[in-house]
Amino acid sequence: MTTEAAAAPPPTLRQRVFGETPSAWVFVAPAAVIIVGLAIVPIVWSLVLSFRASDLLSPGRSVGFANYEALVKDPDLRSAIGHTIVFTGLFVPLSIVVGLLLAIALNRRIRLIGLYRTAILLPFIASTAVQGVLFSFIFDQRFGVANAMLDKLGIARQGFLGDPDQALLVIVLIALWGGVGFSVVIYLAALQDVPADLVDAARVDGAKRWGVLRHVILPQLMPVTVFLLIWQTLLSLQLFDLVYATTRGGPLDSTVVVVYYIYKQAFVLFHAGYAAAVAYVVAAFLIALASLQFIYSRWSARHA
Amino acid sequence: MSAAVRRLPFSPWHLLLAPTAILFALPFFWMVLSSFMSNAQINQFPPTIIPDSLHVVGWDHVLRRATFPSWFANSMIVASVTVISNLIFCSLAGYAFARLRFRGSSVLLGLILATLIIPFQLTMIPTFIVMERLNLVDTLSALIIPGLVTPLGVFLMRQFFVNLPREVEEAARIDGCSRLGVLVHVALPLARPALATLAALTFLITWNDLLWPLIAINSEDTFTLPLGLTTFQGQHTQDWAAIMAGNVITAIPVVIAFLLAQRTFIESLTSSAVKG
Amino acid sequence: MPRRTRALMTMAALAATALIGASCGGDDDDGSSGGKAKLTFWHGQTELWADCLATQIDEFNRTHKNIQVSSDTGGVVADRMLQKVTAGLQAGNYPDVAYVFGSDLANFARSEKLLDLTDSDEIDIDKFYPAARDSATVDGRVRAVPALIDNLAVVYNTKLFKEAGVPFPKDDWTWDDFRATAKRMTNDSTGVVGLGWPGTGDEDTTWRIWPLVWQLKGDVLSEDGDSVGFDGDSGEGALAYVSDLAADGSVYIDTTAGSERMNQLFQNNKMAMTITGPWNLPDFVDAKVSYGVAELPAFQGEHATIAGPDVWAIFDNGEKRSKAAQVFVAWLTSPEQTLACAQQAGSLPTRPDVLDQPGYQDYVESLPGLGKFVDNLDNARVRPTVAEYPEISQAMGKAIGLMLFQKAQPADALQEAVDKSNAALKVPGP
Repeated sequence: MTTEAAAAPPPTLRQRVFGETPSAWVFVAPAAVIIVGLAIVPIVWSLVLSFRASDLLSPGRSVGFANYEALVKDPDLRSAIGHTIVFTGLFVPLSIVVGLLLAIALNRRIRLIGLYRTAILLPFIASTAVQGVLFSFIFDQRFGVANAMLDKLGIARQGFLGDPDQALLVIVLIALWGGVGFSVVIYLAALQDVPADLVDAARVDGAKRWGVLRHVILPQLMPVTVFLLIWQTLLSLQLFDLVYATTRGGPLDSTVVVVYYIYKQAFVLFHAGYAAAVAYVVAAFLIALASLQFIYSRWSARHA
Repeated sequence: MSAAVRRLPFSPWHLLLAPTAILFALPFFWMVLSSFMSNAQINQFPPTIIPDSLHVVGWDHVLRRATFPSWFANSMIVASVTVISNLIFCSLAGYAFARLRFRGSSVLLGLILATLIIPFQLTMIPTFIVMERLNLVDTLSALIIPGLVTPLGVFLMRQFFVNLPREVEEAARIDGCSRLGVLVHVALPLARPALATLAALTFLITWNDLLWPLIAINSEDTFTLPLGLTTFQGQHTQDWAAIMAGNVITAIPVVIAFLLAQRTFIESLTSSAVKG
Repeated sequence: MPRRTRALMTMAALAATALIGASCGGDDDDGSSGGKAKLTFWHGQTELWADCLATQIDEFNRTHKNIQVSSDTGGVVADRMLQKVTAGLQAGNYPDVAYVFGSDLANFARSEKLLDLTDSDEIDIDKFYPAARDSATVDGRVRAVPALIDNLAVVYNTKLFKEAGVPFPKDDWTWDDFRATAKRMTNDSTGVVGLGWPGTGDEDTTWRIWPLVWQLKGDVLSEDGDSVGFDGDSGEGALAYVSDLAADGSVYIDTTAGSERMNQLFQNNKMAMTITGPWNLPDFVDAKVSYGVAELPAFQGEHATIAGPDVWAIFDNGEKRSKAAQVFVAWLTSPEQTLACAQQAGSLPTRPDVLDQPGYQDYVESLPGLGKFVDNLDNARVRPTVAEYPEISQAMGKAIGLMLFQKAQPADALQEAVDKSNAALKVPGP
């Protein structure tokens, strides 16, 4: 490598006027067109729907903000939001931490490592329907393996998915089982990209394993950790399939999360307009949250 | 490492990894074993794990289905096209977001992620309306087009590109390489693990998708595999052996995809010249 | 623009056009071209009934040369039919005939695309059992044709009863007898439980309670239909009874999706009694369980039960197809054809003239206890076909759940359910 940094070719006039923008937009155009383009109709449609009383079967009628006013007073919605927050608050940090630990453990060249990696990914590959069946067996109050083991350990039998106070926590466990593989896959890929010379240099400087981890590897993993945080959070807020496959929101509505509530409103109770309003309120709240976070990081970067 | 541990004939990591691996792999094995049971045995409660004898009735039901090969082929086509398309377009977009400064980049990235916030339970209906207007209902295109580029892919590639060392790219720029050239010749080879991961994840998500094909496809010979398997589920009774066999068949290509993805990890580990 | 990028864009554009173009050659028949009327039939069934229906479709196509019913079932099972048909109705691409749950019909009836069959030339609704007829009627108009009918009775495990030395349920038994029997049969040491009740809080949980409400002289809706009919003693009595059963410890609360666990327990000789319908009998026979069937108990001599009919809904795809669809459904629900697949459907006869068909005896004898379910149709009542029923169902389901889990007093749970249901009934329109 040269010791002096040579300059990049001098910018052309066009580049000086428009910056990188034209070529950049060419790069992102396909993604933008397909993702945003295909999303426009659904987003507008849902917004319009949220201002109507509609069951999607008959014409329905416009009701202005009535749906939005109603959902503010809706105790069931508040419960659903609460359940979603509990689920997200438990699932996201756990899936990232456990995923990272597993990825570090799997990032080595011992015999059978390919087998171990594949084994740990398998739950992630199985569909939620199969997961649902399997775990309702395992956690069955009377005959499940989990309670059988508790018996052997002398602990009282638990209700698990049949207990309104425990069902949501069991769903977190099942989701972790199935979802930690995602974090593992991402972290494994990211660990491949940690420059070996950085690690070696740190070791040469006398850093122990934990020091290397903290000061070299973790900072390198920051971008994917951010990705996982955002992505797993988005996914947690979308939780539906697992609830549908295991408890259908029960017992006693203890596992109704926001998307399940939206589904129920639209396709069980025939209040699609109301469902759309709920979806928009949640969306607006998330976007507000994200924008705040974004503005804050810009502000703190500028004033650092 | 203590001397005692070092005297083990194998690495001590096996002590942690082996039980963990077994724990995680158990559901899959249960699925495979169940596919070789008879329906009567699967319905036993408490459930049994070992088949009392090798019943192939489940496999028979699934493989004998006349349209089964079509289901498999359809899933393959949709998943493969989606993977290739995502590899191309997500790399392009991800690189632009990571390396190119342009006006509106944050807003656009935010928009792309924001499209995920409205639940699919609602958006599937207007998306279906769009497909109907385009005359694409009941075709594979209806399944492929919405998945050509995914926000997951764009965001993932962006984060990976952000992490790459800039020096190599800048050296190439100095040598007169265009932006696209830098992407293709410098960044992408460095991002092999990310690309492999993206390919495997996209394959998994597309392959296992049930709700959208259910809404968009009507004809049995256009079904994808998960959709075809629902025909073994009755309202009150299910053909469990067939469902398990079907799920095993569904899982195999995905397992292969992830195994292939991991190959590139091993290759990258050994190609340290790239990091120089 | 760099050359490579331009090439990439051209390729992408070409690919996109090819994809769209490739599918534009699809067939676009609306049956209005002279010739056969082509019908799409989403029966939502799988396995045995689906196979039987496929044979019926072939037979119909063979004998009706100017109508062609497609053998493609739409790729949807009954559980998902609502979502798919809704999407179809919104987009203008929907089937001719679809299998609709009885409890959904009232809402479908708000769509003008659901045919009004009251004055149909092909379909005579009076030929069906009153219960079946009622569930196909919304606001006095016939909006569908009965496809399947069942009812609830008590199926008991004769082996477990013999082992416990408990006499079999008698035909004139009371709910007190039922409660005592359940308690006697529950045996923690052998892991046997008296009965099961779905605990997810949806319609499966709710519909089992209406017989008790009816027997206590209440109803789902009041006379004028503007408020509920189960506030007061009928509702409280029914809920209190469930609460007592749960307090005795005799109930297995099945919280799995689809209530499969209950049936598995029964099939594995771990549950003494189950309140269920004829659809489970084939499984019980397969699992070699020895069982008997008894009518639901009574409070004061009236053994009312509930029937849960499902229907064939016909949608308007133009005059030619609508007419052809009515011809098809009339044929499909004729006495001969109804009997032909009744066993595979797990359905009881939807119309009395099925009992006169040759082969009816074979059908009844194909499953032990089936005859009892058929006779029970005389006791069967149905849920009202009103659009607000799903909300009443949810409200009542919550109340029953509270009883099962012993989390509230019957009176309080009832009040909450009544309030929620009445509020739903007051909202105009959808």
